Amino acid sequence: MLFLGCLLVNACNKKSGGDNSGPHPLTLPQPAGFPAPQYSFTGNPLTQEGVELGRKLFYDGRLSKDGNFPCASCHQQFAAFATYDHPLSHGFDNQFTFRNAPGLFNMAWNKEMHWDGGITNIEVQPLAPLTAPNEMAESISNVISKLQQDDTYKKMFTAAFGSDTINSQRLLFAITQFVTSLVSANSKYDKVKQGLASFSLTEQNGYTLFQAKCTSCHPEPLFTDHSFRNVGLPLDPFIKDVGRMRITNNRTDSLKFKVPSLRNVALTFPYEHDGRFASITSVLDFYSSDVQTGPTLDPLLKNKIPLTNAEKFYLLEFLKTLTDSTFLNDARFAQP
Amino acid sequence: MKLTHKLHRVNLPKLCIGLLLVTAVFSCQKELHFDKEPEKDHNIILKFKPVASYDSVPLVLGKTYTNNFKEQYTPTGFKFYVHNFVLANTDSGKTFKLDNDKYYLVDFSDSTTTEIKLSVAPYVYNRLYFTIGVDSARNVSGAQTDALDPANGMFWTWNTGYIMAKLEGTSPKSSTGRFEYHIGGFSGADNVIKQVELLFPYPFSLDMQPGKESQMFVTCDANKWFFNPWDIKIADKPVIAEPGLDATHVAENYKNMFTLDSVYNEQ
Repeated sequence: MLFLGCLLVNACNKKSGGDNSGPHPLTLPQPAGFPAPQYSFTGNPLTQEGVELGRKLFYDGRLSKDGNFPCASCHQQFAAFATYDHPLSHGFDNQFTFRNAPGLFNMAWNKEMHWDGGITNIEVQPLAPLTAPNEMAESISNVISKLQQDDTYKKMFTAAFGSDTINSQRLLFAITQFVTSLVSANSKYDKVKQGLASFSLTEQNGYTLFQAKCTSCHPEPLFTDHSFRNVGLPLDPFIKDVGRMRITNNRTDSLKFKVPSLRNVALTFPYEHDGRFASITSVLDFYSSDVQTGPTLDPLLKNKIPLTNAEKFYLLEFLKTLTDSTFLNDARFAQP
Repeated sequence: MKLTHKLHRVNLPKLCIGLLLVTAVFSCQKELHFDKEPEKDHNIILKFKPVASYDSVPLVLGKTYTNNFKEQYTPTGFKFYVHNFVLANTDSGKTFKLDNDKYYLVDFSDSTTTEIKLSVAPYVYNRLYFTIGVDSARNVSGAQTDALDPANGMFWTWNTGYIMAKLEGTSPKSSTGRFEYHIGGFSGADNVIKQVELLFPYPFSLDMQPGKESQMFVTCDANKWFFNPWDIKIADKPVIAEPGLDATHVAENYKNMFTLDSVYNEQ
């Protein structure tokens, strides 16, 4: 105890010596009904300065080899941080990405990143697009040395982490802070849940249908159960993407992909891991009549999800209530 | 007067620490002799040396060697993670484990990484143990620094986890001209984390004395990656670069690549 006390006195003395008050802590919003976040923020507490630095990095083309592909080139705020209207996104040297860019929101509640769940800790996710030759095509050490030459970054790293050391851990911590700060929970659906708005008759019909037919994989309030499922999409003969099996090498995971959240779904088209469906109605048509059977097909889809045209219309109207327009226009998330 | 002056200058926190340490020593070791200085650690300098085929042929990156299947190969990269060093005496059953479980990336393209300094409790030892690989928890604990910095190129970006050992280069036996063994995997059947046990060379046990230093040369035989207990032929498998059965086979081979070749023990 005495020893600890001495250490504390020492530490306090040092602190009061300088006038550096340190970064300002932020609290991750905890929307009503959301579970505890998956990301613990242990060792990387959310701060104003950390998020601000992360935002600058997210929008900085220098994270890519030729300067043209910041994170934001595939993750656009007006598309809920997906790529608007692109089945696959564009990367370095006129190449396509391997999969459809997912929207980025409520990432702190995400267990595994990527369609195949290959990334198990959000902190290291940025390494994948950053180093992929068909995406940002850069090396980590090149990015670090580019940032080290920029005085603004030196100041911002100091503000966020207490010294001007720029290394991969701090880079990744800052991006993680920005990306986890992207919380979206202010859609019409949320307002209805809070008693601040009410569904139209068609939206209400759609909600009732949704609860009956969709929530086993897309449960509220996150609208995903974070599981991996084969929904019966035929294999694309060119991309030959086997999904989760690429990570687990397990045949029973063949053609399984992560269930995406349906929040902001009206803006994240085209849909599925390869963006093969251009509209929500084509997705509903698929579930209603085109699901292909196979050894790993999800048992819940054995009989497809038969829907009448009227039901599809109601579902569509409900899904549109999941758009969070304050999130899409939030200045805190925009290019600095 | 002088004494009081001196006392005033004593840094109070430091005094506290000093006092506490003294109390701690008192309480822990009742048989403590006051006239004896506390024992100093013994320093070990571990020097990893790449070889091809036991300890006879020193390996130089960019030069050509021949494996057990008479396949020529020219390594351009040879590196691996080690940590969890333990010294032991198998006769007395005493072991010494380092408090600080630091990770080291031994990279034969960077001579600053091939020597590891360890401070150990003085004793007569006859075994050195260490782990080749990165423990499962460290694979999933996010952004890390030093040896485990992903900028070291030993981290899979698309499938979270460390490449625990890497041997790559060129070979005429590969259809692409290249071979690449990036060995990793930490969970279930894919686990490639291996414990290495090294016997000391003659006279089989060493009295490692306080305040002294010993140098231990550990050879790392690249040929062992291809052979025993599993046959890994470059012609059949030029690329093993993801977790799975092949990776576990290579790991079972390479865990035998180490030999404690020679020791200089300062007396």
